[in-house]
Formats: sequence, structure tokens, C-alpha cells
Amino acid sequence: MNNDTVQITGRNRIVLWISLVVALLFGSGGMNIAYAADAGVGSDSVEARIAPIGRVQIEGQEPIPENVVSKTEGEEKELIAAPRPSRGDYPDIGVSSRAVVWVLAQMHLFFAALVLAVPLFVLVIELMGFKTGDERYDDMAHEFMKISLTGFSITAIFGGSLALALFVLYPDLMGYMMRVFGAQWLVYAGLFFLESFFLYTYYYGWKAMRYGNLKWVHLTLGLLLNASGMTIMVLSNSWATFMMAPSGVNEVGAVIGNIWEVMKGPLWNPINLHRFIANIAFGGAVVGAYAAFKFLSTSDPAKRAHYDWMGYTSNFIAILAFLPLPFAGYWLMAEIYAYSQQMGITAMGGILAWLFIVQAVLIGTILLAGNFYLWSGMSRTEGSVRYQPLIKYIAFVLVICFLTWVTPHTLMLSASEIAELGGSHHHILGPLGIMPAKNIAVNLMLVVTFLSFQLYRRSDKIATVSWAKAGNALLVAIYVVAMVNIIFLGVYYGYFTNTVYKVGSSVAQVGSTLVVIIAGIVIDSLMFRNAKTLPSHWGRIPDRSQYALFALPIAFTWLMGLMGYVRSSVKTHWHVYTVMKDNSPDNFIPTIGYAGNMITIVTVLFLLFVLFMFWIANLSATKQSKPVGALEGGAG
Amino acid sequence: MDDKDQMGTTTTMLATVAAFVLVLLAFYGLDHFIMAIQGLPLNLDLSPAG
Repeated sequence: MNNDTVQITGRNRIVLWISLVVALLFGSGGMNIAYAADAGVGSDSVEARIAPIGRVQIEGQEPIPENVVSKTEGEEKELIAAPRPSRGDYPDIGVSSRAVVWVLAQMHLFFAALVLAVPLFVLVIELMGFKTGDERYDDMAHEFMKISLTGFSITAIFGGSLALALFVLYPDLMGYMMRVFGAQWLVYAGLFFLESFFLYTYYYGWKAMRYGNLKWVHLTLGLLLNASGMTIMVLSNSWATFMMAPSGVNEVGAVIGNIWEVMKGPLWNPINLHRFIANIAFGGAVVGAYAAFKFLSTSDPAKRAHYDWMGYTSNFIAILAFLPLPFAGYWLMAEIYAYSQQMGITAMGGILAWLFIVQAVLIGTILLAGNFYLWSGMSRTEGSVRYQPLIKYIAFVLVICFLTWVTPHTLMLSASEIAELGGSHHHILGPLGIMPAKNIAVNLMLVVTFLSFQLYRRSDKIATVSWAKAGNALLVAIYVVAMVNIIFLGVYYGYFTNTVYKVGSSVAQVGSTLVVIIAGIVIDSLMFRNAKTLPSHWGRIPDRSQYALFALPIAFTWLMGLMGYVRSSVKTHWHVYTVMKDNSPDNFIPTIGYAGNMITIVTVLFLLFVLFMFWIANLSATKQSKPVGALEGGAG
Repeated sequence: MDDKDQMGTTTTMLATVAAFVLVLLAFYGLDHFIMAIQGLPLNLDLSPAG
């Protein structure tokens, strides 16, 4: 390793730490601390935090007046209720306003997810390259940034178009949102300038700050880029969660709290976490497709080796981020139910429930594709023959769990079919349609996916520690007991006791899965320290494996579109749940077929833009050869 | 099988059994802990909590 790369003087170390602190202050962490200091965060009870607000009339009590313009005692500030637009207040442009906003919002979110995620793992890869001295990491990190650079412009274009469309098509709603969030919009706009500054200095300064202490400056720029990007994300998340579960306003939507109280609704942090993890998985999947595209389009062994490695790294990022994602989703749904059971039931027990079956198909596709890629990648090393016999068992578990997960509880049947079946539930398959069966399936799928991942990682290594046998015995025991525990908890508490146990035991199932993942990482990292390494042949992988890398972003994109539709639809006929009604012509949950078409359109549109992004990335590396005439000393 | 191999097999068997016992106890404790923090005792008599 070059000594220049690791020598940091005491003064520079102080500068680095100051930079880190500044970065954290820019990020949500610092903001939380600042707000906590003046708002007394933590002083309110959980009940108060999640108590539903809005125009809810309790039987036997006086109805709440709807258009209150009043002054509270001792306060100068006027309380202005949320507007109540009539049908005529919504501009008619000849096409569905909702459809226009839907496409623009979804495209903006797809690209925003991509450009927020890529710098996150780019920073980690760059740091790995710096610490190990392996310049391949640095080159790969730079290439990842190059791919996503066009994405920043596309995100901004769709963001601007979305804002314009919202102000034109939903003026009352946007007027209200502007009033509620006030100066936060300016902070949001200011953060764009910061993010752009850090983005361009980070990307264009890459070669200028590649070694020694300057590399720390470059890493700090990357950290600040991520901090500003993450802050933008959590700020905009607060608008979406305010519309789902408003806080800081009274029953009629008049603002009674400060901006922090408006932002910290019960769904804010679950959405923050869910989007943070999902963005990383999504970003990894998209850049993986780029690597696959480059791998398939070249026959140069060196380039194939590079893009094979890049594809592997992307898949690694996507799958590793994907593993905890269902748990973040569970937390979000649990908070939705805690906030409003009606909203939860709309999502998972009503018309939208069917979408969770489609979701299962898509997640199953992601896991099957991710596993298939790992199994194919085992051919890179001879050491994998030790583990290949296990693949068929993993595939068996995956397929059985996939089929269980996609089994619906109720079926769309005609009267005669119901009569023939003896009811709307199949007597054998019916029990597989409820959550305990799904929980078993999803947890087992995650456990065996981690097993595939672990076997892949072990393929090119032979442990040399004396306790290797005991370590393996412990690991086998953890896998077996965890899987038995997941099945036991699901069957016993899911089918034989009351509902509270059913919900409670799902947390223990998640705990079992996490124990497998954490124990697997810890045991392997200790066991394979100073291990004998077998040669790995990057580029030696079947071409068909690359199609798994194409399947991942398509499934991820469709899945994001689908769940975005669910998240937005649970508000039913409200712009802002319980405080501002939607009186537009589109104030109903669209049918699944219509939504399916819309989601497919935005998915295809996104993929076309991604192809454009890849093309631009390629174009920047293409050099036109000098015309023959020019070589001879003149243009002709 | 010579004595050395026999000893090796016995040690592996013992290590495996010990690992399973250890992990079973750990998961039982984990289930207890996670259910307890949710206010749900880990009952094994198939009767719903009161």
C-alpha cells in the first residue's frame, strides 16, 4: 500500500472530524438534536403521538365545526382551517389530473431513489478502496457515479414538472401544504444548491483528490453529498406522511404546532427507514443492470472480468439491502394500523389486499433472480463444488415458500364455483392465504437467500482456524433451529392462539431471521480470517446469469410503483387524511387493472430513461477517431 | 476406523450436540424475551392469554 495514502497528520485528522460533525449537522441527525432541544421531544406519550386527529365525530358528542377561523386564547396567530375545494375548483385539462401527477411523481421518485442511493454505496466502496489500497474499488465507485450523474438532471426535471403540475392541477391542496410547511420549502430548495455543489465537486474532483490526505477531503465531500441528499429525502417524506397521518394541526386542519410537530407524524420515521433501505436495494439493482449490459456487449476478457465483478458487487448491495426491507415494511404497516385501523384494513384487508399477492410475486422474482445469480457465480471458483449439492435444497425451499406466499386467502369465484368449493376459502389452501403462512414463507426465503450468499462467499476460501469444525456445527445448528423456530412460531401462534399472539410472534420470527444473518456474518468473518484463498476467475460466469441482473431492476421498479399506489390510496377520498377532503373527479381508489396499467407505463418509461442514462454514460467514454484527411495535415 | 478417527468423530458429534443444545436454549430465551417485551408470556399450553 502506498504510504502517502494512509498518512494523516493530527491537524488533518481534526479537520476530518470537524467535517464529519458538520456533515452530521447537515443531516437529519443534527436536525433531530436541534429540534429535540427546543421542542422537548420525548416528553409526549406514545398515545398522544399516535392519537388520530381529524374530523372524527364521536357518537353522543357535538360535531366539530368545519370552517373554523378563530383565535386561541392568548395568541395573536389566526387559525385557518384546511380549504374545502368544490369540484369546480379543480382545473379540467381534458385528461385525468391524477394520471398526470401519478406519472410525474412516480418518475421523480424512481430517479430520486436512484440518485440518493448510488452515492451512499459509492462512498462505502471508495472508502474500501482507500483502506485496502486496491484501486479497482476506486475505479468502480467512480464508474457508478458516472452512470448516475445523468440521473440527477432527470430527477430535477421530473421534480420541477411535478411541482408545476401540482400547483396547476391542485392549487388549493398546494396552497394548504405551503401554509402548513411554511419556510421548510425554502430549506428544501436551499438543500438542492448544497447537494448540487457537493455532487459536482465530488464527481469532478475525483481524479484531483485521489491520493493521500486529499482523499479524505474527497470522502468528506461524498459524506456531505449524502447528508444533504438524505436530508432532502426526509424532508419530502414528511409531506407524504403528513398527508397520510397529519400532525401539528387540529381537527379541521388549522396549524397549531410548530414545523417539527408537523413533520414528526407517526409514519415519518417508518417511511424514512423503509425508503432509505429500499433506495439502496433499488440503486444496486439498476447499476447491476448496467454492469450486465456492459458484460454482454463486450468480448474482451479484461472488460468482462471488470463488469462481472461490478455486477456481482451491485447484486451484493441490492440483495444485502433487500434482506432487512420486509422488516422495515412490517414496522411501517404496524404504525399504520396503530395510527388508524381503518387505514390498515383498507391496505391489507380490502381492495388493496390483492396487491400484496402481486407484491409477493415480485418479491419472489427478486429473490429467485438474486439466488440464481449467486448460484451461477459459484462457477467462478473450483472451491464451490463443496457447496453445489446444497443448491437444490435451497431452490426447493424457495419455490415452496414462493408458492405459499402467492396463495390468496379468498378467490374471485362465480356463485357456482363457490357452491362447488363449499365456500370462498379452499379447505386445504385457504389456511395458506393468511399472514402466519406468509410470515413463515418470507422469513424462510430470507434465511435461505442468506445461506446462498454465505455459500457463495465461502466458495473461494478454506478456513484455517482450529475451531472450524465447531464453528460450522454452531452455524448449522443456528440455521436448523432458526428455521424450526420460524415454522413453530408461525404454526403454533398463528393458528392455535388468539390474534395478539399471532402478531407478537411475527416479531420473534423476524428476530430469528436476524439472528441467522448476524451470526452468519460474525462467525464467517472470524472463521475465515487468514483463510486459504482459492483462485477466482472473474468473467467466468454463464451469460444467462446476466439476465437475472436485468430482472432485478424491472421487478424492483414495478414493485416500487405498486407499493406507491398502495401507500397513496390508503388515504381514500382525502387529500390530507381526515382534515382535507379530495373533491376532484378522481377522488376514489382506482381499480387494480387501471393501476396495473399505470404502473406498467411508468415502469417502461423509467426503463427507457435508464437506457438513455446508460447510453450517455457510454457516450462520454467514446472517442471519435481522427479523420484520415486530418491525420495527413488538413481537413480537406 | 482407528482410535484417532474414532476420537475425532466423537468430538465432532459432541460439538454438534452441544451446539444444538446451546442454540435451542438461546432461541427459547429469544422467543421468551421478544414475547415478554410485548407483554405476552410465552405460554406453551395452547390456551390464549387472558
